[in-house]
Amino acid sequence: MTDFDGLLRLLSQGQVEYILIGGLAATAHGSARFTHDVDVVYRRTPANIARLAQALQSVSPYLRGAPPGLPFRFDEATIAHGLNFTLTTSLGALDVLGEVVGGGSYDDLTSHCVRIVAFGVECLCLDLNTLIRVKRAAGRPKDFEAIAELEVLREEKDAGGFS
Amino acid sequence: MPGTPVEPWVDPVIEVYKRDVDRTLLRESLRWSVEQRVEALKEMQRASIELQRAMREATGRS
Repeated sequence: MTDFDGLLRLLSQGQVEYILIGGLAATAHGSARFTHDVDVVYRRTPANIARLAQALQSVSPYLRGAPPGLPFRFDEATIAHGLNFTLTTSLGALDVLGEVVGGGSYDDLTSHCVRIVAFGVECLCLDLNTLIRVKRAAGRPKDFEAIAELEVLREEKDAGGFS
Repeated sequence: MPGTPVEPWVDPVIEVYKRDVDRTLLRESLRWSVEQRVEALKEMQRASIELQRAMREATGRS
């Protein structure tokens, strides 16, 4: 089981610039669906890449689903030469994305975020409209139920005056 | 991406899925704060762990 608190605290305490997306962001917006992992978009500056590598060093990041024993190191060079990583860590599943389809990079997304306090840390969370947009852009049938729920949430918020 | 308007497009496939969404659950959730929603997720996670443990115990599976 993923330690949501632990992973977000690790990123925030490491001063990593990131945006919460995916299932946890949906929860923050009111989703009643369960999620198993933490998904974030990280800023791809050299300084932030260094902070990300440092922040996750203590939780043994490894490629999720890959056979054990690969010479994988989640360090600055690996992050700089890659982009999106689906990781397993000692605190659970963590997806760190340099870009998302339909949304772009951290810098593209920052104007489409709300600042929330969750798990005792303050972080940026993708806004509901953009969350729907990137889910749609991913085009995965497994997301259809989640998109439908997010669209209903938007309707309910618009109709009911919820924040 | 920046400045992209919210699309008015209605996806007929998603409209079919929306029929099955339980709006009562969502209205309840929308009354909560973000912290309360996150706490509900963690409670769901704790319940899931406990139920899986109970089932393993009942069926003798590891």
